[in-house]
Amino acid sequence: MTVSKDYTAQEIIIVAGAKVLEDKKVVFVGTGLPMVASLLAKMTHAPSLIPVFEAGAVGPDLAVGLPVSVGDSKTFTSASFVKGLNSAFEMTQRGFADYGFIGGAEVDMYGNLNSTMIGDFPDGYQKPKIRLPGSGGASDMAASCEKTILIVPHDKRKFSAKLQYLTSPGHLDGSKDARWKAGMQGSGPYRLISTKGIFDFEEESHRMRLLQTFPGETKESIQAETGFELLFADNVTAFAPPTEEEVRLIREEIDPTGIFVKRA
Amino acid sequence: MKDTPEMFWTGLSPDEARKALVNKDKSMRDKTMSLKEAVDTFIHDGDNVGIGGFVDIRQPVATTHEMVRHGFKDLTLSFQSGGMAIDYLGAAMMLNPDHFSIKRLELAYWAHEAFGLAPMFRYLAERSLIELEDWSNANMSARFKAGAMGLPFIPTRGPIAGDVAKSNRTKIIDCPFTNRPIALLPACHPDVAIIHVNAADKYGNCIVRGSDCTCAEISMASAHTIVTCEQLLSHETITSLPKDIAIPFLGVDAVIEVPYGAYPGACRRSYYYSKEHIADLHRRTSLMCKTENKDELQAYFDEYIFGVDDFSGFLEKIGVAELLKAKKLEAANCERLV
Repeated sequence: MTVSKDYTAQEIIIVAGAKVLEDKKVVFVGTGLPMVASLLAKMTHAPSLIPVFEAGAVGPDLAVGLPVSVGDSKTFTSASFVKGLNSAFEMTQRGFADYGFIGGAEVDMYGNLNSTMIGDFPDGYQKPKIRLPGSGGASDMAASCEKTILIVPHDKRKFSAKLQYLTSPGHLDGSKDARWKAGMQGSGPYRLISTKGIFDFEEESHRMRLLQTFPGETKESIQAETGFELLFADNVTAFAPPTEEEVRLIREEIDPTGIFVKRA
Repeated sequence: MKDTPEMFWTGLSPDEARKALVNKDKSMRDKTMSLKEAVDTFIHDGDNVGIGGFVDIRQPVATTHEMVRHGFKDLTLSFQSGGMAIDYLGAAMMLNPDHFSIKRLELAYWAHEAFGLAPMFRYLAERSLIELEDWSNANMSARFKAGAMGLPFIPTRGPIAGDVAKSNRTKIIDCPFTNRPIALLPACHPDVAIIHVNAADKYGNCIVRGSDCTCAEISMASAHTIVTCEQLLSHETITSLPKDIAIPFLGVDAVIEVPYGAYPGACRRSYYYSKEHIADLHRRTSLMCKTENKDELQAYFDEYIFGVDDFSGFLEKIGVAELLKAKKLEAANCERLV
């Protein structure tokens, strides 16, 4: 496996995301990089991965190409089962989704995410400084997928000590059994992949913990771009850069027209 | 809102929704009419309008064009994830709120996934011109389902913790059976549903291809439903597989054949997205967001909506080449023709 010398920040996120997924498991796939990561996993180590889309499609092979929407016609062709949104979320609530990929504009140290608004909640809810699209299905996936994988581009404002709005619940305040006490079922944030490294959430405190650094990053450089104090694994390792073959699959097979993966 | 002692209903209350059906003519009769007549008959100022589709999939775009031509005041729009249909209504309000206005949104998401944000949403929300009530996709879908089931509320596991449940009328109780917290959501009963489907007969029996989205639930929860369809088919053809009917005639009040009725969004087996057209509307809207200059956005509406009599006039302006392009893209998505 030749290591690629020419890959982008998005491509390393995709490769890292793909590697978290296990074969023969069900992954609830959101729009964008999660679709690319799930396809890459299917084409490499996880050929029997089962993608589920929130508009209803279960298990399509996606041979007709990369969908641009989780309701896209491309998710329907070759699917084993398709109803609508209620059916997809009911299956997730029941426990059929092993993994879910979610993102947001802000994340805190417990893996809670904001994709609703920038501004003052609750007083400024009806007059946000910046209005974001809203939860969509992200908060449902956060509540009910068994494990969630968070993807957030790394910078100090996005990795925030206090969210301006909590859209998708992670480990809440980090206290013991916080999710269970709140009434949720899934075990919550499992991994976070940023543009700088890979993180998990420490078992006791549920705080974000650096596991692996991406090339060019150190513990110090990552902490410097994080708005709260990170934990570090006992042995923080370097994540291997994408291989030439992985980059080729992303660029030539999965997203040849650059729908989600930009070349620059 | 949360402090109101009595639960309020932004569409019909469950009792009102029940009465609306008791008093309704449920006969199997020809419901075909013009879209203009349907919008004029079934949509009124102040209504709660339930909108079908999902993001830019099978949204009732033609109906929203007709609504904009007609003009409405103080609508509440209820949907899970909205794209172009909501964009047209939002942009119409940006241009002239005296002609068209939205009072309130009950939503999970308004944007376009790979095609970016909806600048109309930022414009209206950040200026506090509309009331907001955020929910999740599962929440809104379950609220329509509760309405369709004739139940006043539905328990869900949705975003029970966090700020979504604090932004809306969710009530969290201890489940009487497990003693664990559970979220109860009020049913959504729109005054009118607007839905686009692949095929229907003149009575309103509907066939849907691709994702069902939440269209059946919205139709069955609403007091009235306007259905546009790609193809109007004979009753015999539509009912040759009765289990293929996604929405029964009982839940439909008006049927209009509108080919390309979800364009520039997509409709399974008929056409894929026209991302250039979507981007063009967003570019013109963003210009108004940045500069308050509405000329380019107004020009779009003057040409494509106010400058034509009906949706076929819009399609003529789009032109055969673009429509064939969208059709060809979709053909490549459906290799197995199912």
